[in-house]
Amino acid sequence: MRVTKGARIVAGTALLALAVAACGGGASDNGGTAAGGETPVRMEVGEPQKLLFPQDTTETEGAEVLAAVFSPLVRYDENKQPVEEAAESITTTDSKVWTIKLKSGYTWHDGTPVKAEDYARAWNFAALQDNAMSSSYFFGRVEGYNDVHPGEGKTPTAKEMKGLKVVDDSTLEVTLSAPFSQFKTMLGYTAFYPLPASAIGADGKLSQAYGEKPIGQGMFKVDKPYKKGTDQTIEMSVYDKFPGKKPAGWTKLQFKIYTSSETAWNDLQAENLDIHDSLPATAISTAKQVLGDRYFDEPDASIGYIGVPLKYNKDFQNVDVRKAISMAIDRKTIADTVFSGTRSPADDFINPAIPGYRQGACTACTYNPAEAKKLYESAGGPKSIELGYNADGGHKEWIEAVANNLRANLGIEVTPKPFEKFQGILDALDAKEYKGLFRMGWSIDYPSPENYLTPIFGTGAIGTGSNYGGYSNKDFDELVAKGDQATDAAEGLKLYQQADDILIKELPYIPVYFYRSNFGHSTKVKNVKLNLLNQINWADVEKA
Amino acid sequence: MSNPTPPGGPGLPETQTLVPDTVPAPAPERKGTTTKSGKPASLWTDAWYDLRRRPMFIISVIIIVILLVMSFWPSLFSGIDPYNARTCDLSTARQAPSAGHLFGRDNLGCDVFARTIYGARNSIVIGVLTTLMTTIIGGLLGIIAGFRGGVVDTLASRVTEIFFAIPSILGALLIAATFRGRANSIFLVIVALTVLGWPMVFRIMRAAVITAKSQDFVVAARALGAGAGRIMFRHLLPNSLAPVIVVATINLGTFIAAEAALSFLGVGVQSPDISWGLMIADARNRFLEAPLPLVFPAVFLSLTVLAFIMLGDAVRDALDPKLR
Repeated sequence: MRVTKGARIVAGTALLALAVAACGGGASDNGGTAAGGETPVRMEVGEPQKLLFPQDTTETEGAEVLAAVFSPLVRYDENKQPVEEAAESITTTDSKVWTIKLKSGYTWHDGTPVKAEDYARAWNFAALQDNAMSSSYFFGRVEGYNDVHPGEGKTPTAKEMKGLKVVDDSTLEVTLSAPFSQFKTMLGYTAFYPLPASAIGADGKLSQAYGEKPIGQGMFKVDKPYKKGTDQTIEMSVYDKFPGKKPAGWTKLQFKIYTSSETAWNDLQAENLDIHDSLPATAISTAKQVLGDRYFDEPDASIGYIGVPLKYNKDFQNVDVRKAISMAIDRKTIADTVFSGTRSPADDFINPAIPGYRQGACTACTYNPAEAKKLYESAGGPKSIELGYNADGGHKEWIEAVANNLRANLGIEVTPKPFEKFQGILDALDAKEYKGLFRMGWSIDYPSPENYLTPIFGTGAIGTGSNYGGYSNKDFDELVAKGDQATDAAEGLKLYQQADDILIKELPYIPVYFYRSNFGHSTKVKNVKLNLLNQINWADVEKA
Repeated sequence: MSNPTPPGGPGLPETQTLVPDTVPAPAPERKGTTTKSGKPASLWTDAWYDLRRRPMFIISVIIIVILLVMSFWPSLFSGIDPYNARTCDLSTARQAPSAGHLFGRDNLGCDVFARTIYGARNSIVIGVLTTLMTTIIGGLLGIIAGFRGGVVDTLASRVTEIFFAIPSILGALLIAATFRGRANSIFLVIVALTVLGWPMVFRIMRAAVITAKSQDFVVAARALGAGAGRIMFRHLLPNSLAPVIVVATINLGTFIAAEAALSFLGVGVQSPDISWGLMIADARNRFLEAPLPLVFPAVFLSLTVLAFIMLGDAVRDALDPKLR
């Protein structure tokens, strides 16, 4: 479950951002030359929310770093279909019992071979409630999850999920509690990376040292421990014994941590940065000119919403209020003007990049100010609302634009409320200090329409998942569950769409735009490509 | 001016080296002392006479008057009310200036001219209130410290030095950022700037009072049995006010600039309130595409700050007989 890029950048006030960014520039310049002659390929990244534990990373930035260190079981091909990567084969006959055979040749960065038990260890660790891993929700479908994760206030009755069986060193058998047709698709996600035995300390917790310098089985090994909060770079170099394709002609990779995508954009222009994959909307028109054919604009499977705190604020519980707000937002103009055409107006809860999308499905997503005002008044919507956003993800402008839409079209008072980081909004909601609408974004974990439904709107995702608004609908839950169990892909898709229809009718969140990826690179590299998870295919990148 | 304090004196900061430009000579005692109130106080009349002939004074006063009118009756200048969201049209964002929209439109399609005009109010209100607060707090403490001397003075001076040691923008940022969202943003800016702005006034008031204290008329008043309060407010205050007025005027300009800086950094005035600093911050990211939404508020801001600083300069020149 990943809250998107925008939600990511963790930073304080603008001054702090400037100060930190200034430090970043200085530090990395030194780092660049000190790294043994070879100038690393420098990649923009926001500060990871937590230390580098795969099972505790559910946001895009940490995931981006970890994707270089680990090799996933599956990757996604051009058709968004999962293809085996670290796995030799993933097979099932009934969508319930899955057999994962590992490719041989993979070793941990310390030289020891990767075994099936490393996967079981990681997944059990993630699922166990006592460990409080943010990705535990992902293992909810594995048989025995309820024993290790019975829910808040209850004590787990087992340490390991009974559905996870290590057959031999290279074979893992996973039994799900119910058939789930999309299971293979899920396996490319960060939470499903394995963990070496050394990751877990004597006290049964993930060791701090591991989080700072994770040992993976992927293309790059981390060179020196990353001190979160102080270090402005994460240094890596190619792991010699990596069995897969390695980048040609270069071995050093450096993630540069930025607190503002504008600063990173300035660095890219100054060639102090090589790849920037979240160009700020404000830079797009300049970026096109400055970068020329080094600028890319590709469809992206993410969605931007206005989140509704259904659980926290009674004012929004009337569906007509949400519908009216939705109809009062001029998505097309916002996409064209604020985002310079780098976003497209949302008209479904499923993104067009993923099968299952239906154009124009969300009728209340069409701009209709007159109808909106009528509906809002008859529904007795609140006279003044707040609109929370995280101040450092480049959201201010579109939030202000939405605020203006609502003010003008509904005749209400709207106060945009900046929070330092996305988590701040959630904390404020939980602490009942804040009751307003909030910005929300979703970037997929695996390319299935299901990923736009369960993790954000499922009843089971309240608290443990990303269902921040607290929406709960039994019919919806049932339809998604039925879709999960469908053995036929087309049949599953239909059921997911029916669940999607419920969301469209009830608008638990208000979809505003579909993302596009806007990235650019310096003259020093070429052949930069993003995969479906918006991570760079490092093996393809070449030095120019 | 001569430093009233001998170097290494008991706990007295070196006023002269720290704020040389803004501290004029303490007002000379009035020729006909206070008892004959019928006589004109010559310093002030002289100063007024002098001021009226200074073009710098006239220009700055004109600008300030226009700004004041603008902040109290913005609708006289602009037919568009920028606080009404209906006047913004996103599809016309960054449109070039036209007859209806003299300064063009900003990133959200709002009229830049109207926003610039309406933005004056917050800047002026913050500038004036902050100046008032710093002058009252700093002035009061300055009189007391200067008049009492001894432990009171030492203590007050040390506290002032601590505040002086805090870089003012950084300090204000800290205060404003810490309490952001918990109080009205404009109130917060005033508090933040006041907390860091009063020591300047304190020092000048104190230095002026120390000089005035040893003058004959104070000795005379004391000999006649006047109490501390009477001496402070009837004799010392009027004779130490001139340098404080000068500094306050100049400070007004710098407070307005500081407000813009805080708003620019995101901790000052918050949307939907309008402020020049905020407008500059919003327009900054697209400056290359559309420079005008940044240029206009910036010009107004500069003009305002300049006008107050010019006024302060003119007043200082008029009040400082040595420069004449």
